Amino acid sequence: MTDDAAGAVFGALADPTRRQLLSAIADRPATATELAGALPISRQAVVKHLHALAQAGLLERVRSGRQVRYQVTPAPLSDAVSWMARVGGQWDDRLAALARTFAR
Amino acid sequence: MPDRIERELALEASPTAVWHALTDHDWLAEWLADEVLLDLRPGGEAWFRFGDSVKSGWVEEVSPPGAHGDGRLSFWWSESEECATRVELVVSGDEESGRSHVRVTETRPLEILDLVGLRLPGLGGGSYGPALVAA
Repeated sequence: MTDDAAGAVFGALADPTRRQLLSAIADRPATATELAGALPISRQAVVKHLHALAQAGLLERVRSGRQVRYQVTPAPLSDAVSWMARVGGQWDDRLAALARTFAR
Repeated sequence: MPDRIERELALEASPTAVWHALTDHDWLAEWLADEVLLDLRPGGEAWFRFGDSVKSGWVEEVSPPGAHGDGRLSFWWSESEECATRVELVVSGDEESGRSHVRVTETRPLEILDLVGLRLPGLGGGSYGPALVAA
């Protein structure tokens, strides 16, 4: 994964609605209409969020007939993403603590 | 590289002072982990406690900042059965102006071996890590 791609992943996961959508889709692949029905936001807003998640490589579109269903990308990427989110968060905390030791 | 974290931090301190923060056990215990033991030489033991959990590994490179360039500290660590990852801390800056830059990179280059089904021994055994990198 390039740094740009990693940035896109963190950007996509920074939004609580997108995290909620991703977790719903991880449970079960769904269409934008189905997701909008389950959440208190418009279908148009759902589509925008899904687009951001797909751009970050977290979701993929699967066409079935006239419908487009979203599913999470296969395991290796999800594994890399969860590792990056966890380890990245740990370093954010550590570097913030390091900066505080110099601010005194 | 598939799995790589990179973070940067700017500090109002000289590279020498920042290097001290990265290598002094007491100072490390204020930001990196709750308790840190680093044998600061290539192949030296590295041990970190975070609350109830422990990461251990070994030191790869220790070169203080100076006339020859940036300061560089790298080590490998892993928690029990986890795949070992490599941490590199690079300090650049200017002694005169008292400004520094820390770049931290954590990568897990060994993960690919794990994906193809190669069982990795733990890092507790001492000489395994350095031997692997030399290979």
